[in-house]
Amino acid sequence: MATIDVRSVRKTFGKLVALDDVSFSVNDGEFFCLLGPSGAGKTTTLKSIAGLVQPDSGEVWLGGQDAGDIEPNHRNLAMCFESYALYPQHNVFDNMASPLRSPVLRLPDAEVRERVGRTAEMLGVGHLLDRGVDQLSNGQRQRVALGRVLVRPANAYLLDEPLAHLDAKLRTSMRAELKRIAHGELNTTTVYVTHDYVEALSLADRIGVIKDGRILQVGTPQQVWDTPETAFVAQAFGKPRISFVSGGLVSDNGTIRFISSDGAITIPVPGLDTGAAAGESVRIGIRPRDLVLHTGAGDQPASHERLDGVVYVLEHLGRQTEVTVRIGESLVSVVAPRGDVGGLAVDDKVSLLLDPATVHVFGDSDDGRRLTR
Amino acid sequence: MGPTTETTTEPVVDPATSAPARTKPPAPPTTANQRRAQRGSAAGLLANLALILYFAFSLLPVLFIVALSLKTNAEQTTTYLWFTPTLENYQTVLGLGDGGSSYVRFFFASLATSTGAVLVSLLIGIPAAYAAARYRFKGSEDLMFTLLSFRFAPELVVIIPLGVIYQQIGLYDTIFGMVWVLQLVTMPLVVWILRSFFQDLPAELEEAALLDGYTRRQAFLKIVLPLVRPGIAAVCLLAFIFAWNNFIFPFTLTSGDAQTVTVSSLAFLGGNQVRFNLVAAGAVMAVLPPLVLALCIQRYLVRGLSFGAVKG
Repeated sequence: MATIDVRSVRKTFGKLVALDDVSFSVNDGEFFCLLGPSGAGKTTTLKSIAGLVQPDSGEVWLGGQDAGDIEPNHRNLAMCFESYALYPQHNVFDNMASPLRSPVLRLPDAEVRERVGRTAEMLGVGHLLDRGVDQLSNGQRQRVALGRVLVRPANAYLLDEPLAHLDAKLRTSMRAELKRIAHGELNTTTVYVTHDYVEALSLADRIGVIKDGRILQVGTPQQVWDTPETAFVAQAFGKPRISFVSGGLVSDNGTIRFISSDGAITIPVPGLDTGAAAGESVRIGIRPRDLVLHTGAGDQPASHERLDGVVYVLEHLGRQTEVTVRIGESLVSVVAPRGDVGGLAVDDKVSLLLDPATVHVFGDSDDGRRLTR
Repeated sequence: MGPTTETTTEPVVDPATSAPARTKPPAPPTTANQRRAQRGSAAGLLANLALILYFAFSLLPVLFIVALSLKTNAEQTTTYLWFTPTLENYQTVLGLGDGGSSYVRFFFASLATSTGAVLVSLLIGIPAAYAAARYRFKGSEDLMFTLLSFRFAPELVVIIPLGVIYQQIGLYDTIFGMVWVLQLVTMPLVVWILRSFFQDLPAELEEAALLDGYTRRQAFLKIVLPLVRPGIAAVCLLAFIFAWNNFIFPFTLTSGDAQTVTVSSLAFLGGNQVRFNLVAAGAVMAVLPPLVLALCIQRYLVRGLSFGAVKG
C-alpha cells in the first residue's frame, strides 16, 4: 500500500496537450476517482502513474519516493485496462494467474490456484477458468481483466473504466461489490477512472474532476456536489443536469440580486464571494431537485422565491417526471413527483419555488469560477 | 424430414388423421424456386468447370516438368505426355550411374545458404520488425523505406561491385558469403511483413505484462512472440522460397563450393547436348525443400498469410 503523488505532470502527443499541469495526491488506502469526459486525459494520467507514459515534465511519487526511475514492472501497481488487454493465447485462469507467476511475486502453485479461484468466484467468472479469452462476452472479459488486478497484492490499483462494458444490472451489483472490496477487504489505494458520475459519487473517498488535461477540482463527493468550483464541475454531476441561466448582478438597496439577460428571472443571491460585485455578468446554476413545482395549493415559504414560466417539455420517467420549464428565454429543469404533474401539458403556466441559498453562481463561461461560498 | 418421423415421434396424433399425411408428398416447390434452383446449379456447374480448367491450366507446367524429367534423351523433344518413362535422368543428376554429378553437393549448398539466410534474417528481423512497429522516431519511416528499397532495387545494379568486393575480401564462393548476400533478399521481407503483424497487436498487451511484473524482454518473449507465430511461419516460408530461388547472386558470386542448384542446372544445358530432361529432374528435386517446409508449417500458414492483412 502506498500514497500516490502526481506533481505538475504535463504530457503532449505531438501538438495535442493530453495532460496540462495535473497535480493531485491520493492517500494511503484511499479510493480516488478521476471523473471526466472522454479525451480528458484520464487514461494518460493512469498510465503516467503506472510508468507506461513518460511525462514531459512533472513527477510521480509513489509511497513518498520519486518513481521517475522505477520501471513499470517494479512499481508493484496493478492496472485494469479499458481495452481489457487480456492475453489471447491464455485461458482465463492463466490470464488471472499471470501477475502471481511473474518474477516479482512468483507465488507457489497452490497459492496461485487458491487466489485465482477465490477472485474468480467473487467476480462471478469461476466457471469460466478453462475458457479461452475469445470465448468470453465483453462483460466476462471485463471481469477477468478486473480479476487480474484484484487477485494480487499491490501498492495500488489503477482501474480504467472497469465497469464500463457491463450491462446496467451487472454494473450496479459489481459497483457495490467493488465498494465492499475496496473499502473493506483489501483497503488498497485505488485510482479509479470513470466517466460515470454515479460510480464516482458512490465509490470514491475523493473525486478529481478532469477536463482537457486539467484537474478542475478535487474533493469529497459531498464537496464536489455541494460546492462545485466551476460550471463544468457542477454540470458533471446529477441527472437531469444542473440548469444554467445567464445574466448579471445588480445592486438593490445594499443586497445583490441576479437578473437574467432577458429580465425574466430576478432573485437575490446571498452568500456571494467578496470578489463578486454588481455589474458583473454571471450565470447561475440551479439543480433540478432544488426546485419545487408549485401547484397552487398552499402558501409558498417565505424564504423561497417564485419563478413563473410555461411547460416546455414533459418527460415521464416512472414515479417521477422531468419537467423542463421555459422562463423568459431560459430553460430550467425540475424533477417532480408523478402526482404533482398529473394535469400538466406543454405550454401550461407553472410556478417554481426556489430557495436562493441553493443557487450556485459562476463566472459567465464553462470555465467560470464559483462566486458563491 | 419425412412425415413418418412426424407420426412416430408424436404418438398423440390420431392415426386416422395422420394416415393421409403419411402418403401426402412433400409440398412441391414453386416454379420460381425451381427455376432459381436450376439456374443456381447451372451457374455452379459453370463455376466448377472454370475452376477445374484453371486448376489444369496452372498445374500443367508442373505436370510438364515432371513428365519431362521422366523422358529419355530421344523422347525429350519429340513427345508430349505419351512416352516410355524412365528414372535414368534422376540417376544421372544424383550421380548414381557414372558418379559424374555434384548435384547433391549443390543441393546441400542451397539448403545451407537458404536456411542460413532465413535464420539470420529472422534473428535480426524479428526484433527489428518489433522495434519498427512500436517505436516511432525521426527518420524511422525513411529507415524502413531504405530497407524496402533493397527489395525493389534490381540486383544487377550491385552485382559487379559486390563481385569485386567478394573477390577481394575472400567471401567469393563461400557459404558464409552467400548467406550474407541472400540475407539482403530475405531481411526486408521479414521486417516488413512482421512489422504489420506486430502493429496489429495492441501495445496494451505488453503494458499489461509489464504491470504484471514481467520485464520488457519477458513481455516480448512470453506474450508478443507467441501471438505472431503464424506470421513468423508465413514469412519463414516466403523468405526461404525467395532465397532458394535466387539465381543472380549464386550465379555471380559462386563457382563451385557454394554453388546452388539453381545455378548448377545450367550445366546440363551447356556442352555438346542440351539435356532438358536432366534440368527437369533437377528442378523436380529442387522443389522438395520448400514443399516440405510448407507442409511442416501448414498449420500456421493459412492464418499467417491472411492474418496480417486485415485489422482485427
